[in-house]
Amino acid sequence: MTTPDNSGDVRLSGISKTYDNGFTAVQPLDLTVPQGSFFALLGASGCGKTTTLRMIAGLEEPTTGAVHLGEQEVTHLPPYKRPVNTVFQSYALFPHLDIFENVAFGLRRRGIKSVKKQVEDMLELVQLGEQARKKPHQLSGGQQQRVAVARALINHPKVLLLDEPLGALDLKLRRQMQLELKRIQTEVGITFVHVTHDQEEAMTMADTVAVMNAGRVEQLGSPADLYENPNTTFVANFLGTSNLIEAEVDTENGDDIVLKAGGGKLLLPKARCSAPTKTGGKVLVGIRPEKIALTHADDAGEIPAGRNRLTGKIADASFIGVSTQYVIDSPVCDELAVYVQNVERDGRLVPGADVVLHWSPAHTFGLDATQDIDAGTEEEAAA
Amino acid sequence: MSTLTEAPPPLAPAEEAEPPRKRGRFTPYWLLLPGMLWLVVFFALPMIYQASTSVQTGSLEEGYKVTWHFVTYWNALSEYWPQFLRSVFYAAAATLLCLLLGYPLAYLIAFRAGRWRNLIMILVIAPFFTSFLIRTLAWKTILADNGPVVHALNSLHVLDLTNWLGWTAGDRVLATPLAVVCGLTYNFLPFMILPLYTSLERIDGRLHEAAGDLYARPWTTFRKVTFPLSMPGVVSGTLLTFIPAAGDYVNSELLGSTDTRMIGNVIQTQFLRILDYPTAAALSFILMAAILAMVTIYIRRSGTEDLV
Repeated sequence: MTTPDNSGDVRLSGISKTYDNGFTAVQPLDLTVPQGSFFALLGASGCGKTTTLRMIAGLEEPTTGAVHLGEQEVTHLPPYKRPVNTVFQSYALFPHLDIFENVAFGLRRRGIKSVKKQVEDMLELVQLGEQARKKPHQLSGGQQQRVAVARALINHPKVLLLDEPLGALDLKLRRQMQLELKRIQTEVGITFVHVTHDQEEAMTMADTVAVMNAGRVEQLGSPADLYENPNTTFVANFLGTSNLIEAEVDTENGDDIVLKAGGGKLLLPKARCSAPTKTGGKVLVGIRPEKIALTHADDAGEIPAGRNRLTGKIADASFIGVSTQYVIDSPVCDELAVYVQNVERDGRLVPGADVVLHWSPAHTFGLDATQDIDAGTEEEAAA
Repeated sequence: MSTLTEAPPPLAPAEEAEPPRKRGRFTPYWLLLPGMLWLVVFFALPMIYQASTSVQTGSLEEGYKVTWHFVTYWNALSEYWPQFLRSVFYAAAATLLCLLLGYPLAYLIAFRAGRWRNLIMILVIAPFFTSFLIRTLAWKTILADNGPVVHALNSLHVLDLTNWLGWTAGDRVLATPLAVVCGLTYNFLPFMILPLYTSLERIDGRLHEAAGDLYARPWTTFRKVTFPLSMPGVVSGTLLTFIPAAGDYVNSELLGSTDTRMIGNVIQTQFLRILDYPTAAALSFILMAAILAMVTIYIRRSGTEDLV
């Protein structure tokens, strides 16, 4: 390793992909993935994330733009000349070769004769030393997945591309492999570009997440940043759950904007509003379900002053162990989601009860009201 | 009373459940029966009959008797071994040619043909719509002494080369080994292409991408991934070509000469012209045994058991 090394940077400048049938999978896109980072491309299926990955791998040629790895332009290089390796969705292990030969494949193609030591070390890293002479179909899904990672990593690529690598695994194994991959990435320090549709996976593993929608990057940032400060309704709904309430701008009060929603007033910090605010204009007020506290209407007087409040009626409550998830019917919004930790449960909070929802204005975010309020929700994805 | 009237229903389904299970047990045998009957009548019985014929002695006039005269086998082999060798050689040459012609085509259909795939497949199968004999006779015209093919080969001096190799003689292609091998190749080519296509088409395209991603150039990808994975098709294609070609007599009869007689021609002559049934039957069994032995060794060697 030499001094400040950026040879593992991935720079995409204005790349786009339009297929022969006229479908544009990726709109012109600029993206820089810094050396050594764990970068996730997150989006629903068909959003262009896999196409982006394939353009980095060289399996797809961009219609416009350029791909750089470090200082080297690789836009038109065939995949076998690029210092990147891919962990394919459903692994694409060679069925006629045993595990050892699968892992040794890349080394042998580059004319390296003594592969034994390296392959054995790599199989140790992914804890498959015992399985070296088995064929891929004799291994479980999780083991095959680790072979796919080992087969790619052994070549010390500048960038490792992962195309939904955990999609075929069951939930428990997936959680385990997420930690495993994260451990491996920290250990080898290679740039990882990870494509996934699972927002939880992206947030657990990646340093930086780019949320893609319809061939565009909607927002890019650290998982916490994306979660707390979504810029679009798509990001707000796709990453976790958001309550979005339509409100009208009333006045400005110092660093806060005062909004009218239903009969009441809500405060929104100016800094957390990504939409233009003019008196009388509309904004969408967003609040995450776990940030909201519930108080029975009888105790409304006990709520500290200065908090945002809404009134409503509990429509549904589901107990899920660590928390209880409520659906609240409110005059400003039909279905507000509220997650309350099960610390001290108020027995009166049952469906039909009148409640006051309240939260700290600091947790409120504001979005442009011209967007589709349901973008990125599961119902929309299913449609 | 009400309990009594209600009692039977739960029993009834249990009673009904029994017979289907019994019936189910014999279903496989019933399904096998027509095929087995067919095999017994048209395969097992003729085989036994031929086996007995091969160890009989006698003449047409006096009738034949089973005398366990195994010497017939030895005589047949020592007299006709050149035709045996020639059959194996021609069949092997035709199989190799089929593989060389068929593989690129099967590859094209499987990976590159796109919307032309079905059309090309139909073209591969189309020759089956006319009779084997007519197609072979057509080759007689194609390879005719004054035909365009011979002229072209002659002016390109290809015939000088094939003459030198002993595949052709004089200015002729017809009635030479080359003509017979060409005929065999042509007639059995679809049997090579179809299994090759099937096994190539089954290969997951992502394996090609994975090989490329792991620094394999296209040709290396073919050698290390595509070809090994198509081995089941290569093995079944070569078997489907070699086995019938080794026993074929039509191509040699129509396109060859007395110098290109294959074992099939000998058997045919023994059965239908010379009427020496024991020798003909013995030759048939020797051919069968030889092919079985070769195929067994071949399959063992190609080691495709865990691929299929």
